[in-house]
Amino acid sequence: MSKPSDLLQGTLDLLLLKILALEPLHGFAISVRLRQVSGEVLQVSDGSLYPALHKLEQEGWIKAEWKKSENNRRVKYYALTRLGRGQLERETAQWDRLSAAISHVIKLKEA
Amino acid sequence: MRMQHWLYKLPLRIRSLFRAGSADQDLNDEMQYHMDRLVQEHMAKGLPEESARLAAVRAMDGLEQNKEKCRDTRSVSVPLNLARDIRYAVRGLRKSPGFCIVAVLTLALGIGANTAMFSVVNAILLRPLPFPEPSRLVHLWEAPPDNPAKRNVVNPWNFLIWREHTHSFAAMAAVSTGELNLTGEGNPVALPSASVSADYFSVLGIPALMGRTFEPGDDTPGHDDKAVLSYGLWQQRFGGDPQIIGKSLSIDGRPVIVIGVMPQSFVVPGSSARIWTPMAITRDPGWGKGRYATVIARLKPGVTLAQAQQDMAAVARIEAALRPDYDRNWGALCFPMLQDVTGDLRLPLLVLLGAVGFLLLITCANVANLVLMRGAGRLREIALREALGASRRRIVQQLLTEGIVLALSGMAAGLLLTVLAVPSMVAMIPPSLALPRSESISVDGRVLLFALVISALTAILFGLAPSLRASRVRLHHVLRQSGQQIGATGNRRLRNAFVVMELALAILLCMGAGLLLRSFQRLISVDPGFQTANTVTMRIFTSPAKYRKASQRAEYVENILSEVRAVPGVEAAGSVHFLPLRGQVSRSCFGPPTREEPNPTRSPDAQFLIVSEGYFAAMQTPVIAGRDFDSRDAMGKASVMMVNQAFVRTFLPGQNPLGQSFSVCWNVPNPAQIIGVVADTRQKALDDAPQPTIYLPNSQVAMYMASLVVRAKGDPRQITDSAISAIHRVDPEQPVAAVETLDSVLDSSVSRPRFEMILLIIFAGLALTLSAIGVYGVISYSVQQRSQEIGIRLALGAQGSSLVKLVLKEALSLALFGLLAGAICLLFLTRVLSSLLFEVRPYDPLTLLGASMVLLTTAALAAFVPAFRATRVDPMLALRSE
Repeated sequence: MSKPSDLLQGTLDLLLLKILALEPLHGFAISVRLRQVSGEVLQVSDGSLYPALHKLEQEGWIKAEWKKSENNRRVKYYALTRLGRGQLERETAQWDRLSAAISHVIKLKEA
Repeated sequence: MRMQHWLYKLPLRIRSLFRAGSADQDLNDEMQYHMDRLVQEHMAKGLPEESARLAAVRAMDGLEQNKEKCRDTRSVSVPLNLARDIRYAVRGLRKSPGFCIVAVLTLALGIGANTAMFSVVNAILLRPLPFPEPSRLVHLWEAPPDNPAKRNVVNPWNFLIWREHTHSFAAMAAVSTGELNLTGEGNPVALPSASVSADYFSVLGIPALMGRTFEPGDDTPGHDDKAVLSYGLWQQRFGGDPQIIGKSLSIDGRPVIVIGVMPQSFVVPGSSARIWTPMAITRDPGWGKGRYATVIARLKPGVTLAQAQQDMAAVARIEAALRPDYDRNWGALCFPMLQDVTGDLRLPLLVLLGAVGFLLLITCANVANLVLMRGAGRLREIALREALGASRRRIVQQLLTEGIVLALSGMAAGLLLTVLAVPSMVAMIPPSLALPRSESISVDGRVLLFALVISALTAILFGLAPSLRASRVRLHHVLRQSGQQIGATGNRRLRNAFVVMELALAILLCMGAGLLLRSFQRLISVDPGFQTANTVTMRIFTSPAKYRKASQRAEYVENILSEVRAVPGVEAAGSVHFLPLRGQVSRSCFGPPTREEPNPTRSPDAQFLIVSEGYFAAMQTPVIAGRDFDSRDAMGKASVMMVNQAFVRTFLPGQNPLGQSFSVCWNVPNPAQIIGVVADTRQKALDDAPQPTIYLPNSQVAMYMASLVVRAKGDPRQITDSAISAIHRVDPEQPVAAVETLDSVLDSSVSRPRFEMILLIIFAGLALTLSAIGVYGVISYSVQQRSQEIGIRLALGAQGSSLVKLVLKEALSLALFGLLAGAICLLFLTRVLSSLLFEVRPYDPLTLLGASMVLLTTAALAAFVPAFRATRVDPMLALRSE
């Protein structure tokens, strides 16, 4: 692992895929949901959210759809694709392996 | 998996490519919605709307940067950006037409001049010979004992030995060029011809268009009454007669059957032959003497040049063992045909290409400076774009795109220039220059590719430096700075470096042109040893069938000469077998006056010329001692010869030459006595010092070939026709060729150095003009930048003249640096240069001084306008402008 931002980058993709796996949401809602579910621990800046979303869209893991909002504005909703579901499974597995490994390391008793 | 992935991605990519506008609208909407919701959220927490908005913007940390990042995720952005950059570049360039016109014109000049020069180099040096598998074609030469690297023409017997004892060649042929008289139908004409051994056409690998070429057996005595015609001769002389094969022609008074016609495309570089006849070399002793044939050969497949050269070295030892008296210490050489055909043109052409390359560098520096100065004015714009999220790479990319658009426009204009210039340039090449292969100079694919490559290099050279410079801009630095000083300091050094480079290259070209000019002046002021004014010359080749005996030929030429001398207006007339200044020389060995033939490998040799009575009078070459040839020296009388002063200096120093006798190999039977000494003349060329020369009288050793020299009392052109009629009164079938005034012979002999000089002067002039533009640009920009300072100086009472001095000093210091750099470069180029110079050293002080003065004056003139403008600065305006 190199820089912390790399970790964050990969992790952000995983979080976004997971959130969208639950239900289709628009960008702002995703940002709110991120804060809620992580108990305000994960501060994802609104700035880095959209480039990440667009990247996932370009990869074909999520797809976007324009819908009308409650007050009749055009809102872009993101939803997980079949490809994205596969990617989510792979990334989850990866994350599990990684976090298990790290937990294992940090639980080592000092000699 | 991968495939599926792409199937999904493709429509998205296509969408962003073709509907970039609507995709951007979507992006805006999406971001705006997010912002609005953020503001709402903040306001719900009790913040006033103003602060809520600000907080939202801050949360997005850079709305525009983020949008750009989102756009970057669409990975088609490279073509997308390119298209946008090109649009933007064109729009930007259109907005500054002045900059554009100067830049494109400069580029067009640089690229055009280079492409035109390259098209010449391409046609002459690079394009393969027009024969199948041209790389296997070679020339074979003998090498004289005193210079084992010199290409010497070949003795026919040695050719036979080579053909028998070498193993590297698939085929080998001997060629001897000359002239043939074609009589019969129509006017008698002298045709440039080549007599060739049977394999000539199979070495070159070109079959006949009609009929056949020579076959083994055609070059044996008794079977050699055959001829192959060139396409041009067939068309012009015989009207393309389809029944020409099998016809009998009268050539040099004997019947010859036409067996073939060559295709139109059959052009042998360096040969002007229009008719080919077999060269029936035999073991007859007549072929064993004299070196005059050229030998061509085709390497066997897979044989390398080095192997062939070893083979030739080995055969030289065989021939020396077989004929020690004739061939001892002679070598045998093998060179690629292309290299030999272009031979001595290679260096001058490469020098000119180098010179024009300098011109291109000057162009680059000039345009780079233009771009830099324009860039300085655009620093704010660039800073702004960076602030709005453009990455450094994107900015460099965009500036480079602008460079490429400029370079491509320059290339288009340059190519247009080339296409227009090349035909007139080819037309400008004097025919006397005899450039081999110049007929094929044209703009072909390779020339186009060359233009494209140099344009791309140019774009990178003039685009990259300023782009990198611009991309290193410190953001806040620029935005905070006041407009005037932006980029003034950092760029200045770079700009000045460019101008110094331009000036250095320009001074190099000026010095080169100056040196060639001086060398040319020296060359044409050389005294050839004869007077060219009022003299006309024409060549006759005596028919061997009609005038087989030497006495017949001697009488024939004497009859012609006396008939010509009787023409009104003719002052004197004489003949020589090789006219001076046409590059033709003949040599003969000589020895003590014994009845035995001097041994050629152990005797000294000298140039020899066979001249008639009256030749020296017609040439106005003074007889220094003794007497001229006259009627006493007839056939059968005591053998006589004359020599020149160089001969006396070299072989008879401190002795009285008159009365001494020598056996001359050319004319062995009787030793000849020296009856007179003439002044030195230049024979081969003006730059070839007078050689020790033996003159033999045509009345005793008549040649077939004779050039008449006819001196008129006035304009020689008025007596030309009557002189030709006089010849035809003696023999109506005698063709007369190469009718020319001696002035024009002299003129043609220096046409190559003149051509080189003119081209280099043109290049130097262009270089000076371009660097003057460069100096002008940099100095006026610097005056503009310093207008505030100048205003203050004026306000404090500075005189206009001191300001002019200030500005001129800046320009002259640049010029001096350029001069210095140029002089250092000259050190490295002297060796190349000196090979092109005649009696002028590359460090000729007068030339160097002259060129330096020209450069300094140009720089001063270029700086004068901006200097004058400086004195017109309104102090108040300058002080208030910030």
